Amino acid sequence: MNQILVIAWREISRLRKRFGGNGSPIVALVLMAALGFSAFNLRDSVSLGNGLYRVGVSGDVPAIEDSRFSIHEVAPEEGQALLADRSIDVLIVGATVFEREDDKSQFAVRALKQYMEVFELERVAASFDDGGAFPLRVGVNAVDGNPPEASVEPRADVVIQTVKPEEIIIPSITPPPAPFTQVLITLIYILPITFISIFFTSSFMDEKANRRLTVLLSAPVTPFQIILGKMLPYAVFSISTTALIAYFTNANVLLSLAIFVPTTLFVFAIYLLVPLFYRTFKDTTFISMLVTTLTTAYLVFPAMFTNSSDLAYISPLTLAVKMYRLEPFGWREYLLPSLPMTAIFGFAVFAGTRLLNEEFLMGYKPITRKIGDAIYLMMAHSQPWFAVLLWSFLVIPAVYMAQVVMLAFAANLPVGLIVGAVLIASAFIEELVKTVGIIVLAERNIVNSTKEILWLSFLSALGFLVGEKLLVLASVSVVAEADVSTALFESGIFLLIPLAAHFVFVSMVNLLRIKLKAPYWLALVVGTIFHFAYNAAILQNGG
Amino acid sequence: MPFVAVIKKELFSVLRDRTIIISILIQFFIASFSSGLLLGVLSLYDADTILRYSGDSIRIGIVGSMDDPLPALMRERGVNVLSYPNLGSAQAAFYSGEVLAFFDTPRNANGLTELKLYLPDQDTVSSLIRMVLQEPLKQYENFLREKNGIEVRYTNLHGKPATSFEFVYSVLIPMLMFFPAFVAGSMSIDMITEEIENKTLQTLLSAPLTISRMIGAKITSAVILAVVQCIMWLALLHANGTVIQNKFLILLLSLIIAGIASTSAATVAAFLQDRERSQFIYSLTLLAGVGISTILKASPITTISRLAIGDAYTNIWNVLIYAGGFAVLYWILLRVSQRLIN
Repeated sequence: MNQILVIAWREISRLRKRFGGNGSPIVALVLMAALGFSAFNLRDSVSLGNGLYRVGVSGDVPAIEDSRFSIHEVAPEEGQALLADRSIDVLIVGATVFEREDDKSQFAVRALKQYMEVFELERVAASFDDGGAFPLRVGVNAVDGNPPEASVEPRADVVIQTVKPEEIIIPSITPPPAPFTQVLITLIYILPITFISIFFTSSFMDEKANRRLTVLLSAPVTPFQIILGKMLPYAVFSISTTALIAYFTNANVLLSLAIFVPTTLFVFAIYLLVPLFYRTFKDTTFISMLVTTLTTAYLVFPAMFTNSSDLAYISPLTLAVKMYRLEPFGWREYLLPSLPMTAIFGFAVFAGTRLLNEEFLMGYKPITRKIGDAIYLMMAHSQPWFAVLLWSFLVIPAVYMAQVVMLAFAANLPVGLIVGAVLIASAFIEELVKTVGIIVLAERNIVNSTKEILWLSFLSALGFLVGEKLLVLASVSVVAEADVSTALFESGIFLLIPLAAHFVFVSMVNLLRIKLKAPYWLALVVGTIFHFAYNAAILQNGG
Repeated sequence: MPFVAVIKKELFSVLRDRTIIISILIQFFIASFSSGLLLGVLSLYDADTILRYSGDSIRIGIVGSMDDPLPALMRERGVNVLSYPNLGSAQAAFYSGEVLAFFDTPRNANGLTELKLYLPDQDTVSSLIRMVLQEPLKQYENFLREKNGIEVRYTNLHGKPATSFEFVYSVLIPMLMFFPAFVAGSMSIDMITEEIENKTLQTLLSAPLTISRMIGAKITSAVILAVVQCIMWLALLHANGTVIQNKFLILLLSLIIAGIASTSAATVAAFLQDRERSQFIYSLTLLAGVGISTILKASPITTISRLAIGDAYTNIWNVLIYAGGFAVLYWILLRVSQRLIN
């Protein structure tokens, strides 16, 4: 523990020295001030469609203050001519609006309608008393879906039993429920975490480039202590930021921490692996951008579907959205996103301790070679049978997350293709992770004979299946409605059939590659085709 | 010739590392992810889309006469409205699954109209119904206002849902055209700080090459990569059926913006001389630049949106203004880069 604190303190001093001189703190502060100033100024004015529409106005027309519209004062005839030659999209003369039939003009009219509705409401509200301006009250009542008795005889004087207190709304000023605002608030938590973890990555890179990491490795500290020590200051900073955001947005601080600590660990896990794999500075830039994009997609995409689909629970942001709506959630809902994230953190730290050695860090190799070396280093410390079993068990959370990202990615395909595309992609990922360990061992001549290959293939299939079923057990009641998720994780009753299937696909890929010397990608494609056919058959029989 | 050699070396190293593929993948991912998101959002939270696909299956019961304007307004919107003589029969229809929700008869109380809506206690269904009923209820409110002698103007506007159009022209196209520029800036920092931190800069300068030509070559290679990506995106958008006007001006603007981003980034790198701080300051500069230019109504994002839709008032002069900014920034870079020799 002492060593970890020493390394953490050294990290703080390094950071202070680096950002201390040369005017950069002042520049950073000025830029942040400029950023804050523009964010403050633009908070209400920037919307989708900035500057897209041109509107001609003539006579008594309300002032249109919306960044989507550029306003041109015109005479009525001139306006008609401009509208006809498409120089403007809409013409407003007094209370009359002129439009064209084409799409662009129609889009502009819809945007104008949204603006004018709000404007007119404000005008009416300011000029008339409340009863006149807002003459309608709608009492919204929630009714239990099950009849109170076995059959309800229609009676005229019935009193409807409601399950929640009545909510009174005025339609024109009560927007229907949508989670966007809350999803945006929860994004405020993610941004600082990502920013801080980029500094964490930079720190490793800096030490690697200056070869100080090599010196540190020769000192009597373990790689584990180095990783935790360097991570500690950044993690403390991230967690404090989370607590502060929760405090200032009137959320429950402890609950926010419970939700966002696994997320923070997950983001740090990803950013720990970036500096271990980079070869040039450009690599880091690209890899960092990729992981930022993918993690944001993984976190944000499901949360958009809060209360619309139970699949939303795979993102911790959904829990945060619920927290802001003061809606309860249970342990299962909490563990569904949190467990895989924490597991990935554990896996990344384990990988980090194995990879933190000079030979791996300094070697320049193609990225696929580098990944092969990394997997070998992680497996080399135990017996092949144990390493393979554990590997395919431990990669499950990563596979699960990759499949969610695929789902987000596939969501813009035509509806009929979504399930197919996700099934193919996930079959490919599964075959890749189940076989890559054995292939790496075979390339280093640790595994040779057909018997060994088949035995390891069986263990790999077994490890994967056990991990997969445990995940299904944890999540099946939460995501019961999500067919795709069920199909992906094949919640078949007979475990022997999926085990046999996994075994066949894994052996197929391994034998093709190791014994028949087929290119790895080709072996994977063959395995994927069979796996996809099997999944599709399960899905058809099940649904 | 050493100028061309440096460009070749940088382009070759990017192709050899293959990491540029990641950058292209990210852009493709962001584009498809955000349109996927939009699709999800449209289908879940946009009443027009819900009604287009499942208007018929949204059946709402109403107690009392169908002569009241509310049922007519709901029908006009595409909702299936069923009438019931009393609350009991509406409730029975609700339990038998005939209707998803039901309204009681509107009542007058203290000059206000009160209306009770009964919804199932399921978040998914009830939020969907409330989204669909929002528009008819607002129109009903306008009807009641007019009855009280309060005129609300511009109520007869319709148009077409503009979200998709606004997204493509004000988010997707600017993002695809400017993301390569942003990457070009980051790459310029990497290329320069890598020479400094690996201590290869002095060796490079011992070749017949001045520092300004060396940095110029690095920026040029970053800009070339950005422009190639922009051409690729324009071709893909074209193949996808997206109509884009003024393609040449859009490419020219993208080139200039890539130049501005790379030049600013290289200036920061020449000044700070390490990657960690340079990337941080560059990212902040970029964000602040976008914010300030939007406040000053000189944002290149708006210019590119307008060029793409064929706006009548946007032309080459709106593009050349940025070329002026680029020239000034490049001049500053030439001054700052002298620091690297010492």
